[in-house]
Amino acid sequence: MADVITVPQVQPVQPALRYLRLIPGILLLFAIGYAGKLLEQNVGAYAKAHHWTFPNIEYVLWAILLGLVISNTVGVPEVFRSGVATYEFWLKAGIVLLGARFLLGDILKLGGVSLALVAIEITGSIAFMTFLGRAFKLKPKLTSLLAVGSAVCGVSAIIATKGAIEADDEDSSFSIAAILALGAFALFTFPVIGHFLHLSDKAYGLWAGLGVDNTAEATAAGALYSDAAGKLAVLVKSTRNAMIGFVVLAYAIYWASKGKAQAVGNKAAFLWQKFPKFVLGFLLISVLATYRFFSKDQVGALANLSRWAFLLTFAGVGLRTNFQEMRKQGLGPFAVGAIGEVVIAGFTLGLVYGASKLFGW
Amino acid sequence: MGAETNHEKANKPWKLSLDSWAVVLAFLAALLVRTGIFKHIPW
Repeated sequence: MADVITVPQVQPVQPALRYLRLIPGILLLFAIGYAGKLLEQNVGAYAKAHHWTFPNIEYVLWAILLGLVISNTVGVPEVFRSGVATYEFWLKAGIVLLGARFLLGDILKLGGVSLALVAIEITGSIAFMTFLGRAFKLKPKLTSLLAVGSAVCGVSAIIATKGAIEADDEDSSFSIAAILALGAFALFTFPVIGHFLHLSDKAYGLWAGLGVDNTAEATAAGALYSDAAGKLAVLVKSTRNAMIGFVVLAYAIYWASKGKAQAVGNKAAFLWQKFPKFVLGFLLISVLATYRFFSKDQVGALANLSRWAFLLTFAGVGLRTNFQEMRKQGLGPFAVGAIGEVVIAGFTLGLVYGASKLFGW
Repeated sequence: MGAETNHEKANKPWKLSLDSWAVVLAFLAALLVRTGIFKHIPW
């Protein structure tokens, strides 16, 4: 009998094949990022040679724009998708390498200020988004996801919270779409507002790190302003990311107390599991740089490697943003997200303005 | 059953998160720069 029963077998994908599938998408990220770099160099030179008045557009913006055009016109073919999705991986590797450009003393000094601002931002954002979600009569778990996404770190926080509070797939895709759409909007508005208000690199970097939700968009929004602002935006955003475990744990305990999620057993293990490890890598490499483990030239080489990693990230940000897909997700959560984000952006700008007056930036 | 479950657990491949892989790659690159294998990274 056993011979006549055929059991359908799932063929496991060979690990080597799985990695090979990433190559076309990674090459596409590189091609778009590098095209952005070439456009930065050549468009400015061409305009200058022809005596045109043309703003200097950085490679960051070119790479995002090229990605956006491809994603929203021809779309990203299936063969590239898994490789394009690696842009988050390059972002994290780039942040770790960027740690070489920070001395530990600077991190402690700036990290202390940003930690205080991050704590205020997280508390204020969660309170306001919860109020808005209730006012718009959104589902409670959807409100929790939007609150965590806007308070801590965008998509990663939403995914981490979704698992911990057992939220629906639909709720998490609503929240992710809202956070991504608003992140794309922030990319173009934050630098304009920063220049309009004549914010210093320090003040702007702090604001981008506090006010833009997704790490990739916060890094890009900072880099669009200046190199120094980009560095600071990454530091502040990493401080926010470091809080993810505590916020997700608090939500998990809250929903478990209502009997609508599983209780958290080992809280220390939960915190470690949710803690973004790239923040530790960033700190460790800055400790090594502080104690002169790397020469000046080597720090320069690591900074350039970090720029290459970010180049792939920025191309991915554009390729990942599809406005049609976002429109399909509905208006309710988007409206809550949009109102919340505008208020949070204003609130964080006020915080940064206060801090810049207090510390004389 | 319990023994089987433990055995399965022991055989389960140890997996690193995406975050941890990014850290590993970054440190590997830093090591290559530190040891002089990558001397100059152009931008």
